Order: sequence, then C-alpha cells, then structure tokens
Amino acid sequence: MSHDSHHAPVASKLELAPERSDLGLYRPDRATGWVDWLTTVDHKKIGILYGAFAMFYFLVGGVEALAIRTQLARPDNTLITARMYNQLFTMHGTTMIFLGVMPLSAGFFNFLVPLQIGARDVAFPRLNAFSLWTFVFGAFVLNASWLFEFGHLAGWFNQFEWHKNLIYTDFAPANGWFSYAPLSGTIGQADQALHSPRFTGVGTDFWIIGIQILGIASLAASFNFICTIVNMRAKGMTMMRLPVFTWMTLVTAILIILAFPAITVALIELMFDRQFGANFFNPSAGGQPILWQHLFWIFGHPEVYILVLPAMGIVSEILPTFTGRPLFGYPIIVFSGCVIGFLGFAVWSHHMFTTGLGPVPTAAFSLLTMAIAVPTGVKIFNWMGTIWGGRVRFTPPMVLSLGFIWMFMCGGFSGVMHSSAPADAQQQDTYFVIAHFHYVLLGGVLLGLMAGLYFWFPKIFGRMPNEKVAYLASGLVIIGFNLAFGPMHYLGLAGMPRRTHTYHAGNGWETWNLVATVGAYILGIGVATAFINLVWTAFKGRKVESDPWDGRTLEWSLPSPVPEYNFAQSPVIGARDAFSEHKYGDLRLIYEKDGGPSGVHMPSQSWMPLLASAGFLFIGFGMPMMSMGIPYAGWLVITGLVVLIAGIWLWALEGPGGYMLTTPTNTAPANQPSASLSR
Amino acid sequence: MSEAAAHDAPTSTGIEHKKLIMWLFLASDCMFFGTLISTHLLYRKLYPTGFTDAEGHQRFIQNLFNIELTSFSTFILLMSSFLMALAVSAMHKGQIKSFRRNVLGVIFFGLIFLGCQVFEFTHFYHQGLTIQNSVLGSTFYVLTGTHGTHVAIGVLWLILLYFYSFSGKLQGHVAALDVEVAGLYWHFVDIVWIIIFTAVYLVEYLGPNGFWGSGLPPVIK
Repeated sequence: MSHDSHHAPVASKLELAPERSDLGLYRPDRATGWVDWLTTVDHKKIGILYGAFAMFYFLVGGVEALAIRTQLARPDNTLITARMYNQLFTMHGTTMIFLGVMPLSAGFFNFLVPLQIGARDVAFPRLNAFSLWTFVFGAFVLNASWLFEFGHLAGWFNQFEWHKNLIYTDFAPANGWFSYAPLSGTIGQADQALHSPRFTGVGTDFWIIGIQILGIASLAASFNFICTIVNMRAKGMTMMRLPVFTWMTLVTAILIILAFPAITVALIELMFDRQFGANFFNPSAGGQPILWQHLFWIFGHPEVYILVLPAMGIVSEILPTFTGRPLFGYPIIVFSGCVIGFLGFAVWSHHMFTTGLGPVPTAAFSLLTMAIAVPTGVKIFNWMGTIWGGRVRFTPPMVLSLGFIWMFMCGGFSGVMHSSAPADAQQQDTYFVIAHFHYVLLGGVLLGLMAGLYFWFPKIFGRMPNEKVAYLASGLVIIGFNLAFGPMHYLGLAGMPRRTHTYHAGNGWETWNLVATVGAYILGIGVATAFINLVWTAFKGRKVESDPWDGRTLEWSLPSPVPEYNFAQSPVIGARDAFSEHKYGDLRLIYEKDGGPSGVHMPSQSWMPLLASAGFLFIGFGMPMMSMGIPYAGWLVITGLVVLIAGIWLWALEGPGGYMLTTPTNTAPANQPSASLSR
Repeated sequence: MSEAAAHDAPTSTGIEHKKLIMWLFLASDCMFFGTLISTHLLYRKLYPTGFTDAEGHQRFIQNLFNIELTSFSTFILLMSSFLMALAVSAMHKGQIKSFRRNVLGVIFFGLIFLGCQVFEFTHFYHQGLTIQNSVLGSTFYVLTGTHGTHVAIGVLWLILLYFYSFSGKLQGHVAALDVEVAGLYWHFVDIVWIIIFTAVYLVEYLGPNGFWGSGLPPVIK
C-alpha cells in the first residue's frame, strides 16, 4: 500500500520529505514540540502522557480526599456542607479509580508491554492514540462538572430560564462512585419533555456520560493490548516466558473487555431513565433498583481486580530484581492471576449481602469470596518465597514493594472478614469497609504503582530519582497511610457510618478521626513529595546508564531513554528473564537480521485519533446540557457523533502510511561483549 | 508496526491483528447483548402480563407482536448473512464485481430489516407501548433498538466499503481481510438477532399460558 512509495530509510524522522496521506493531507510525521505529542502514535510517548494525566488526577482526587478528612477532623464540623460533601466523596472515588489508578496502569501497559515482549510497537498504534485522547476528554467532561458547580455557586446561571427547570442544582456528581438507583435514577411519571422527576441533579448526567466515555477508552486500549501480547511476541517469547507484568496486563485487559459491557449497558439504561423517561430503575413504574446493583457490581468487582492485578504484576517484576533470584513459582503466580481474574466474575453479590438475596445465593457468594483468597494467598507466599534467601537490596522500589505485600495482606484479611455474610451485615456502610478497600487500593495499588514509577523512571527518562527523597516519600506514604486508615477499622466497628458529612461528639469517635486526618495529611505530603521528586527527575535528574538496577527483562537491554524503534534488531528469546540469562546464564540474547541500514518500519503520526476523540467532548457536554433543558443541546450531541464518525472515516481513508528508520547495526546490551550478539 | 506493515509481518499466532481484534470486540459485545437480554428476560419473568396502554387497558404482548412480520425480517437478515459470506468469498478470489453485487444485496437486505424494525416500532407505539409507560417498553425498545443500531452501523460500514471499492484501492490480501472483518461483524449481529428473536419473540408463544405464565394462550394472528 502507501508505504511502498516511500523514500529511502532515514536516520531521523526530521529528515523525512513532506508526505501526503491518501487523503492528500500532509502527515504530521516530521512534527516536533506539542504537535508531535498531540499526533504521536509512539507507545512510549502515549504511556508518558497517560502517566502525566494520571498523576495530575491523583493530585485532584487527593485534594478532594483531604477536604473530606478536614471536614471530619472534629465532630459537628460545618466547614463543608452536606451537599458538597456528597460531591467530594463521589468525585474522590470516581477520580481515583477511573482517572488515577486505571490510566496510570495504562501508562505502564503502554510503555512496558511492547518492550517486554520484544516488539516495536502495539498492534494498532493509531487506536492507541485514540484511547489516550478519549480518556483525556472523558476525564475533562467528568471534572468539568466542578466548573459548572463553581459557576453555579458564583450565581452565573441564575439569570437563565432553563435554570428554573432544574429541581436540584448539584452540578458535580453527588451519587457516590457506585451511583445506586433509584438515588441516581428517576421516580414517578415522565413529563412532556420525557423527563421524570429525579433525586439528583445534572451532576449524575455528567457522571454517566463521563464514565461511558472513559469505558470506551479502556475497551479500545484493552482490545489493542490483548492483540499486542498475543500476536506481537518476539521469536521464542512463548506465553510461559512472558514477564509477569505482561501476563497481568493480559488478564487485566481480558477483565476489562468482559466486565465493562455490563456497566456500559447499566449506564445506557440509567441514561434512558433520566433523559428519555424510561423505567429500568424507576420504582414507581415497576423498575427494580436492585438490578442496577447487580449490573454495577458485575462490572464493579472485576474492576477491583482490574485495579490491583497490574500492581501485582509490577511487584512481581521488582522483587526478583532486588533479591537477585528468579520469581518463585512463576507458573503458579501466572495461574493464580488467571484464577483471580476468573473468580472475580463470580463474587459480585458479596457487595449486596444486606439486600436480602436469600440464603442460597448468600452462601454461594460467601464461599466463592473466601475461595478468591486462595490464589491471592498463593501469590503472597510466592513473593515471600522469592525474597527468602535472596540478597535483598532495599532500594526505593523494593521498600515500596515490601510495603505493598504487607499492606495488601492487611486489606486481604479484612476482605476475608467481609466474605462472611453475617459479619458483613454488621460492617456494611461503616468505616470498616472504607478501611478495607483503602488498604487494598492504597496500601496495595498505590504503593505498587509508586514502586513501578520509581523502578522504571530510569528506563523511561534515563534519569535516576533522588534516593533520599524517595526513601522519605516512601516512609511518609506508608506511615501516613497507616495512621489514616488503621483507625478506621476501629471507627467502623464502633459504628461510624460512611458517607455522612459529620458526626456528633460523644460517640467516642473524635480522637481516631483526628488521628486519621493527621495521617491523611502526612500521606498527602508523602505522595506530593514523591510526585515532585519524580517530575523533577524527568527533567533534571542524574543521568544513568541503561541498566541501573541489574534488571531481568528485555526492556533493560535497551538504551535509556528507549529509541523510537525500540529494538534496533528484533531479539530472539530463549528463556524466561531473558536479559538476566543473557548476563549471567548460558543463554545469550540473539538478534534477527532486521533493522540496520534497510531500516525498520515506523507508523505514521496522525491527527485523526485526536479528531475522532474530540467528538466525545461534544457528546460529553451535550448530554448533561440536554438534561438541564438547555435549548438545542441535542444538536451538540449530534455534532459530537458527526465529528466522531468523520474522524473514524478520515482515519480509515488516510491510510496507515509509515516510513523506514535506519537503526544502528551493533546494539550490544550492557554487560556483554558484542561478539555473542549476532547470529 | 503500522496496520499496513502488520500484514506483511507474521504474527505470533498466525491470526491477523485485525481479525483478532474483531473477535475480541465481539467477545465484549457478547457480554453487552447478554446484559441487555438478561434485563429484558428478568423483567418479563417479574411482570409476565405485558403492559397498560394509554387508555388504561391491560395489553398482552402476544396481541402486540406481529410474529409473521418479524419472522420475515429475521429470514431476510439470515439471508443477508449468506450474501455476506459470498461477498467475502468473492473478495478472497479477487472478483470485485461479484463482491459489489453481493455487498449491495447485503446492504439492501439490511435496509429491509431496518425498515421492518421502524415499521414495528411505529406500530407498537400506536398500539400504546412506549418507552415511558412500562418496564416492558423500556427493555424492549432499548434492546431491539441497540441491535438495530448495530445493524445500521454495519450497513453504513458496507456502504462505505461499496463506494470505496470504486477507488481501485480495495484489492489484494489487505482488502480481503478488511471485508472478512466486516463480515465477522455482520454475522455476529445476525447471530445476536437469532437469540433476540428467540428470547424476546418466540418464547412468548410457548406453553399453554405463554412462556412467562401471562395467563393468555398464545395467539397467532
């Protein structure tokens, strides 16, 4: 196709002659600066963008969390209104899960998976860019609800006629991250404009469309990553030689493509209830709000494993590196990950024990929930087996990984407590639940992701974070985290309800709430320290060689920062932990005779993914505005659909393009004489 | 590696990227339709007696459905799958004229199916079943409407492929793969309709009191 007509291979894309796509438009291949970042299809740049946006939203969600903790620092506090408090905890949960953890994991997937499997890119580079920008616009739509909220608080909207149609005026979502119907839905009969009376304001519409857009981004990225992992492995990279992080990426992506359709349908049904007067969850017309709970948790529980499996993969890479031993029981770790993913679909109703499922389902879900502790426990024992007898190097990533194992175990223990339905009935909606899932999601996922950031930053940017600051940040995070969430176990068992904007004095909750707030601030300072450390490192950190940690997997065999073609010659893999075998074992890495002066094929950059994603921006603002009754808002939605379809159409017609880039012929990885490298 | 180069390079499994990603999408879409169909069936079991129309009359779903028309449109959709298979086969053999003929047939049959659905929706609406007046209306219209949207996207895709074929660029292995992927999507949408037709329409005519025990004997008009 079009790449046949291309010119000779070039050493840098800046040397390319201007190239027209099949549409006759110039391809942005030679772009530099911000145009390069907007049109990039390089999985490494896309990974960095994912990470940067995720870290930003971690800070946004963190500020929301600190506002919550400040309000709860003392009893009968009036700092934050009950309404604002609802918005804060809703947006805190939604932001951390969908805009913090998932995109940061996606950043790791993007950057690492092709490198770890010996590939030069993902299967669909432009689709990858589409996923990124769709996530960015979805995140913007969700958070733009705050801008409407502040505009409303400032009185900007009071003069408009449509404002009178709003029954409730919470512009930011206030329905909790699981948005239970009928609170998020409707009641009674639809009026002439097909609007049924609602319990919550337009914020819920922002939430619905925002999550829907983010779901599309996650689905597109997951299709791409399964394709990449299954189909683009280097020669000799069999499935059971894949690095564990790549394995966990695969399981996570499979979970996403099978779990997200449930929330997609639930959101469509809720949207039809709110926008068009349908009755899926409308109790006065016979709708069953509990259906929402089922649909939500059929998605929601796999989502928990979508969040935690990448962190488990990261830790499974870090522990062998810093103990100098191969991962103990690699096949068992992989199978456990798969079993966790599989069982993750069979336990959703343990979130609903108090809804009255009946004894048989309750017992079944109880049993399955206990069963899921088995593969998780197997993983923890395997990690301990890896450390056992190893020469442990307590680098910052290792400290955070050890913290991960410890904290995640605490979260697991309280999780097993929840699996017992009678105990869960007591713990439901108390701070005990908050303690449990923060130990899993913060003690587990956040520590794992931070460990990953400190571990791979030298590879991503070729610069080493300041170790002293890293230790300080790790210590602050672990101490602050335990101070903040440890006491919540007690508060929950002492009866303190979650999602309540204040509490009265005299219940014995004052002291531990204050301690939790102090802990939250220490945690916040710790995370901020780590992020400042990392951002500073990206620009100004000390430069390091390509393999500073004595890594085990393929990405460490590449120069830092990694060149745009990844592998100058494609590697041929003969063992698990191929690079470690190469350095210390008998199995040297060998390379195929590709690349060199004849060049490697690079995908062309494109504006089209960004254009198609921009359609979601119009849809994302149009749907809530329709709900507000703003005239002609429906046309905004239609405009969005047209932009989306036009973007995809032009994307198909412009042709994939591509150009050839020459690579060095001798790319001996560190620690190895170059003689052994070519066949 | 770009999409074009991806076809030149062998993949680890031997399955082309585009085909694999379509299978993955279809796996995801299975869960999507599974959720919608479950919603409909759950509410049918809970409220077996149909719905109340605008005049306050109790209406039974068997009196609403026009099973002959729906059977006809189901048959048409099935036959479109047959033509799609012929189109894919023609493309693999490089017979572009045969491809165009068959794809035009698929488009035509797809449009007949959509026309029947539009007629059915209009008819049901005038019979009193609306998305607002009952749970049945909500689940029925959203489920079958979502399927109709899938068909419409497929028709749009095939129309674009049809016109693209006149540019001369639709040839060779890449084009055959593109058409095959479109075919996979089309067959899937048809299979889903077979399930919807069975679960939503046909079961209403089972048993002495209707499958859900609505108390009404099945009526074939």
